[in-house]
Amino acid sequence: MNPSERRNLRNGLLFILPWVIGFVTFCVYPVLKSFYLSLCDYSILSPAVFTGWQNYVELAGDEVFWTAVSNTLFFAVFAIPLGLLLSLALAVLLNANVRGRGVFRTIFFLPSLVPMVCLAVLWQWMLNGDVGLVNDALRIPLNAINSLLGSDLRPPNWLSDARYAKWGLIFTMLWGVGNSVVIFLAGLQDVPVHLYESAEMDGANFRQKLWHITLPTISPVIHFNLIMGLIGCFQVFAVPYVMTGGGEGPGRSLLFLATYLYQNAFEFWNMGYACAIGFVMFLIILTLTLLANKLSERHVFYAGK
Amino acid sequence: MFSLRHWSLHLLTMVCALALLVPRLHAGQPVVIRYWEKWTGFEADAMREIVDDFNSSQSRIFVEYSSVSQIDRRLTLAIAGGVPPDVAGIWAYNIPVYSENNALMPLRSPANEAGIREEDYLPIIWKLCSHREQLWALPSTPGNTALIYNKKLFREAGLDPERPPRSIAELEEFNQKIFKRSANGRIERIGHLPEEPGWWNTLWVQSYPDRFGAENLLGLRDGFGNFASPQNPFFTGRVAMVMQGVWIYNYIQNYAPADFEWGVAPFPTNDREKLGDISVVECDVLVIPTGAKHPREAFEFITYVNSQKPMEKLCLGQRKFSPLRACSDEFFQKHPNPHIRTFLDLAKSPGAIAFPRVAVWNAINADMRNAVNLIWTGKASADAALHAVQERQQKALTRSEARWERVKEPLQKSWNSQ
Amino acid sequence: MPGNKRSISFSTLLVYVALGVAAFAFLLPLAWMVSTSLKPLNETMSSPPRWIPSTIRWENYPEAIAEMRYFWRYAANSLWICVLSVIGTVTSSALAAYGFSRIEWRGRDKVFLVLLATMMIPFPVVMVPIYGLFKDLGWIGTFKPLWVPAFFASAFNVFLLRQFFLGLPRDISEAARMDGCSEFGIFVRIILPLCKPALLVVALFQFLYSWNDFLGPLIYLTDQRDFTLALGLQSFQSQSGGTAWHHLMAASTLVLLPVIVLFFFTQKSFI
Repeated sequence: MNPSERRNLRNGLLFILPWVIGFVTFCVYPVLKSFYLSLCDYSILSPAVFTGWQNYVELAGDEVFWTAVSNTLFFAVFAIPLGLLLSLALAVLLNANVRGRGVFRTIFFLPSLVPMVCLAVLWQWMLNGDVGLVNDALRIPLNAINSLLGSDLRPPNWLSDARYAKWGLIFTMLWGVGNSVVIFLAGLQDVPVHLYESAEMDGANFRQKLWHITLPTISPVIHFNLIMGLIGCFQVFAVPYVMTGGGEGPGRSLLFLATYLYQNAFEFWNMGYACAIGFVMFLIILTLTLLANKLSERHVFYAGK
Repeated sequence: MFSLRHWSLHLLTMVCALALLVPRLHAGQPVVIRYWEKWTGFEADAMREIVDDFNSSQSRIFVEYSSVSQIDRRLTLAIAGGVPPDVAGIWAYNIPVYSENNALMPLRSPANEAGIREEDYLPIIWKLCSHREQLWALPSTPGNTALIYNKKLFREAGLDPERPPRSIAELEEFNQKIFKRSANGRIERIGHLPEEPGWWNTLWVQSYPDRFGAENLLGLRDGFGNFASPQNPFFTGRVAMVMQGVWIYNYIQNYAPADFEWGVAPFPTNDREKLGDISVVECDVLVIPTGAKHPREAFEFITYVNSQKPMEKLCLGQRKFSPLRACSDEFFQKHPNPHIRTFLDLAKSPGAIAFPRVAVWNAINADMRNAVNLIWTGKASADAALHAVQERQQKALTRSEARWERVKEPLQKSWNSQ
Repeated sequence: MPGNKRSISFSTLLVYVALGVAAFAFLLPLAWMVSTSLKPLNETMSSPPRWIPSTIRWENYPEAIAEMRYFWRYAANSLWICVLSVIGTVTSSALAAYGFSRIEWRGRDKVFLVLLATMMIPFPVVMVPIYGLFKDLGWIGTFKPLWVPAFFASAFNVFLLRQFFLGLPRDISEAARMDGCSEFGIFVRIILPLCKPALLVVALFQFLYSWNDFLGPLIYLTDQRDFTLALGLQSFQSQSGGTAWHHLMAASTLVLLPVIVLFFFTQKSFI
């Protein structure tokens, strides 16, 4: 290396030094320690006792763990695509030549600013089986159907009914898509106008333009939102925790991986077990992200490349 | 830059200043101990009075009382984080898991020093405060359960209001007599509603959704969610009998209609001869967490609370009975709960039981709650649900016992030396 | 939009209707929150729902503040943590982003890939060891675990700023270097002033994140007096039923207010 390269290396490393320290302290060390602890029986007030793969063996046979996995997967499988669709739809609508775009944008973004606890208590209230707003709205069409067909349909007790609790939660989280809407909108506005113009000259209609121009051009943005959504959904903790008052929901339907991890670490004094759960979470997210990346290689189109 | 002499002068000055200040800081300054308690409302007020009495009775120790919500979680975090309060008010069923995880300070030696003996307390209370042959806590206020019934509804159904059911069969008989269905098929009135899980013959519980319809029961039971309100189905006369505890007096005072007539009796059993008068007894207790900064002063405060006069004042304030064997007549005279003697007798009876003293009790309870929920909603039969719980919890219990085996020797050694 | 004049108005009308419905749906819960916060308790549970309370109870607000006991302390705590976090994040992330974009050094892009990879590590995975680390340092029960890590650059913010820095032309740095300016000098005097909007975005998002953070305060703060607003709201949830919904909604509105105000003042620069 010549002196100028050496100087650049030194400067570069100096600038990223805070990040490096953080990386070692808050990433490398904890991940390694977490893996080690997952192989131990550890209750933080007594020293960790090495037990080998026992925690993982137990996890494999733990129905509550598998319930948590299936709850988390269920949530992710529905919340991510619904969230993407909704935010993309809103962004496309906003991108049309509408007046007062700023006002609409603000309105959609506002809910994502709401603190998690506020969100949770508000929606806990909204989803109340008897007096919640959601059911009041649902009763209107249901009563109409009842009077027509003589049936006795009632809106569900969202958060007390194991069949509907997760849908209640998904509904709640959809309210916070504002973030994604803004990101999509930024991406949409970056689509070169001349592409649309040439398409229009060829006689393309709205749907064709959307499918052949818009979506491919913003595919990196979709990819970004997808990955962020994946990582976020798998870590969901605060909202269901507050909604259930720190519990698991009816029939454990609102027990997610992060909740089970927290319970084991800070309520059952099973920190080694909690680390094992954490590690499994990590592997799941890693696998899914790599999968998403593989898929995107074929479908994501980077304009710059 | 600066010379060694310069620094030494600075150091000397600082040391002198500290030496002058330190005695000033200690002289006449009480030791402040932090006391975390779970109570709110009038229960908190009752304890606050005791704390004030203690603080004004001497000037060496000052107790700072805090009302903490979700206290078992907060306490776990605080102990794990190394910053616990000096005294904490938890429940007796927490003691096994905390003690086995080295989270509490054993109290036998300080108790012996202070002259506190097992004979001073109701036998079941002492049992509740002990685990693995060590004493971990001293009681604050106890509680137990009994059958609480609405005398007026009995009368309306043609039953003698002074003759509560004695066996389960009788309970169901009375239940059928009181049961009324309303015009649209919903339940207007029911004799008995099994409300709390964990101490039930679950086949019996299963018969409820079969007989009355799961949806209707759920709707009725959801009403219990607003326990502390006038809409509580027991207070509005939709449910005639419930199993509840000594604390029900306060809720009746606050939320039930003025003409509410209620009776208390031992809960019916199928085998009165063998089991005696049964009652489940729990106790709010005071503990000193591991890592507390002022354990001696903390214990002094706990001793004060456990002396007869302050204890009676506290239990009177919370409308409960006293955990001490000795009880003054004045206590019963002043006590607003007309049925307090019944509750006390139940706690003294040989049939009084406590929750299983195992470290995995929380998990068992959660699982049982889940199982009863499944049975209620008809999603699982009693056998299947209980079997599932049994399997899971047996594994959990085995693991917990294995952990105890691993750590017990060094722990017990350190406890016995304290 | 293609087509003749009539179909333009129709499809645009559809768009407006769709947006209007969506906006209504998005605003409804917030309106409900404010409406409930002004109701007397017995009207909060009324069915059918009331939108306008029979009497507008402004007293709910001071009552909620009193019931929360330490409301102003919580607000001060939240503010303190947010301000420290913002300072830490902006400075450390800007420094790191500069290092990853404006200087050419060996292995730079590979290390950047490692940084991107760290974004995939979910917090729960590292929660227990980090908790153990803070416990050994004696920081549990203090605010330090909530703001000190911000001084060590989070991957997301570095990523954001790096993209922005890359968009600035190379020559301005080159010119400054030829004039003998130190790297740090270029950073402070030339690059940073050009990036005020991006820095503002980072600051704003960090503020929001810290203000709304729940899990961190939940596990690191033990004394009830030290809680943040996000955590303090939980104290309204009573375990044995009988939650005071009107107070809870009033308190929630208060917690939301600063965020909305901040947002209105800064939205021009990023949204």
